[in-house]
Amino acid sequence: MGTVDETKFRILQGVVQDNIGVRQEVSQDNIGVLQEVRIQRIAWRKQSVRPWLLASLLLAAFAYLTRPSSVVSTGRVSGANAETAKAAPLNIDQTPEAAAPLANPRPIDRNAIPLSVKRVVIDPGHGGEPGATSQSGVSEKDITLDVALRLRRLMAQEPYEVLLTRQTDQLISLDKRVAYANENKADLFVSIHVNWMEPRSIRALETYYVGPTDDPVTLKLASMENKDSGYSLSDYKKILEKIYVDARHDESRVLAKTIQTQLYHALKRANPRLENRGVKSAPFVVLIGTQMPAILVEIACLSNDDEAKLLTKEDYRENIALALLHGINSYAKSLNGPNTKGS
Amino acid sequence: MEESNDILCVGIDLGTSRSSISASNGERHVIDSYVGWPVDMVARKLVKKPVMVGREALESRSMLDLRRPLERGIMKEGSEKDQEAVQEILRHLINVAGIKQKSKSKARVRAVVGVPAEAFRVSRQNLRNTMEGIADSVMLVSEPFAVAYGLEALLHALVIDIGAGTADFCVMQGRYPTDDDQRTLPNAGDSIDEQLTKLISERHPEAQFSIHMIREWKERWSFVGDPRNRVVVTAPVKGKPTDMDITDEVRTACESILPPVCETTVDLLSKVEPEFQDKVKNNIILAGGSSLISGLADAIQKSLKEIGGGRAVVVKDPVFAGSDGSLAIARDASSADWEKLSL
Repeated sequence: MGTVDETKFRILQGVVQDNIGVRQEVSQDNIGVLQEVRIQRIAWRKQSVRPWLLASLLLAAFAYLTRPSSVVSTGRVSGANAETAKAAPLNIDQTPEAAAPLANPRPIDRNAIPLSVKRVVIDPGHGGEPGATSQSGVSEKDITLDVALRLRRLMAQEPYEVLLTRQTDQLISLDKRVAYANENKADLFVSIHVNWMEPRSIRALETYYVGPTDDPVTLKLASMENKDSGYSLSDYKKILEKIYVDARHDESRVLAKTIQTQLYHALKRANPRLENRGVKSAPFVVLIGTQMPAILVEIACLSNDDEAKLLTKEDYRENIALALLHGINSYAKSLNGPNTKGS
Repeated sequence: MEESNDILCVGIDLGTSRSSISASNGERHVIDSYVGWPVDMVARKLVKKPVMVGREALESRSMLDLRRPLERGIMKEGSEKDQEAVQEILRHLINVAGIKQKSKSKARVRAVVGVPAEAFRVSRQNLRNTMEGIADSVMLVSEPFAVAYGLEALLHALVIDIGAGTADFCVMQGRYPTDDDQRTLPNAGDSIDEQLTKLISERHPEAQFSIHMIREWKERWSFVGDPRNRVVVTAPVKGKPTDMDITDEVRTACESILPPVCETTVDLLSKVEPEFQDKVKNNIILAGGSSLISGLADAIQKSLKEIGGGRAVVVKDPVFAGSDGSLAIARDASSADWEKLSL
């Protein structure tokens, strides 16, 4: 056993090394986080890795092993609208030990891997309990189920197999919804919700994909939607940091973007004051646990009386379902060219 | 280690409710973590300052855009104003410790800042960026680790630092703690305030009180277990000052953090090497503002009975234990280490 001074010295070296890591991440645009997470996500997903993800990870690993030693990049597995990574010179201040773990795979075009969307799980939020309720008595559970049933009907005309986590007004816990999607090996998971916000003048449309957030409003929303999960939000924060750049995270973000875009364009005509709040990451339980690209869409705000009124109209709900279908189609096409069933 | 008149080492405990600083020139200060800007020209004329920090801001809140910019021990994100507010708090702390920021002959500031044990790396990076222009070199360490270091409780000890935003746990095993040695819970002072607000509102629906009054009552009367005296406070009811007995509400609210804190304590203890578990169980150290809740150490000890008992003590100076520990780290780190961490 060493003396207190020796122990202190050893511990201080740990503190300094840890902080050097943080400092380099700051100067290199979070590249260290990306690398740390890349390593962690293999462990995180080892029980559940899907063939398309395995392929992308193998390609990423291959690219890593064959990368030129003088450059690192900030890239990630990217899609048709790929964010191409910029090559950056290695920081000469880095020690060899510090430099090695910062190296990242080069970006790989997602189109290099044939992917397909065959089975989609639609998750109508809430049920059994009402979720958000408007002043006029419109319940989130009823709207989400109605839109989900409409979406299923529309998708049945396309080459998809559609499964619903609930088809009636029944209480299904979040972990069971997640398990259902995972057991059925769904290719996509789309969870439909209706928001409730203050001030009540807000009419907002927003789509979430898995990831951490420090936005207190989003955290509150996630906390409310996660309330019957049995876990505290702090448990997820730790996990989330480790899946920060999971390939699934990237795919979910692309899916969220396409759905958000389609929904906003489809609804703004009937709802001109609709606010496009874009796509955001958040720690919703259903997005964390699912093993496929997954999004949670807040299709309207029941806190706003006008939006609540619009939601009572069949054609408005049909428009929402149609926009969701177009979003899914658009995402599926971006994966592998034209529609993909059986490919 | 190396210190001169040109160098000032500081330890900062940046807390959700209060922030403290301990400096190598002997200065020690604690401030309320509030920042406010005058709302208009009239307010500016009255307060005679462009920005107010701490108790002064809290007391002038009716004239200010008042911010409490830390949440769960980290900077709120998504709001530039909150980030600016954190900078104001840090700048103010450095000023009250005797450093004049604009002086040409100002000393080089080496700062160690405590953050929650499981703070996101991105949050740490943001904080590091915020320190630019305030300190010359920065290290970020977990709050309970800083407490342990300051007390030289480096081996076979469990530190529980309960603040306003988070309760942070750290097992010291003679090495720099890993993720597995640390935990963060959101159950702390603020969650007690929320609970207390709810309970008093339910029992005294006509009473008028603010969150600041709730915090003041809690800080004065908080306890777990059997009450020594009844807790009677005064609040207006329809404008008339009225006495309310809130003994049961205070106890229930304070005891609401016991189950998660005790469960996490037992869980962390169970992960220590079996032959050292007894030593750690008998060396539990409580720090942070919420450790001043009367009877807390006894309640934690009681919860350890089912695993053979243990001993928990509150540090002598819970408010400064974190900043004193951070200062000890700042002093012990070598100049070479500090050079690597310059901003």
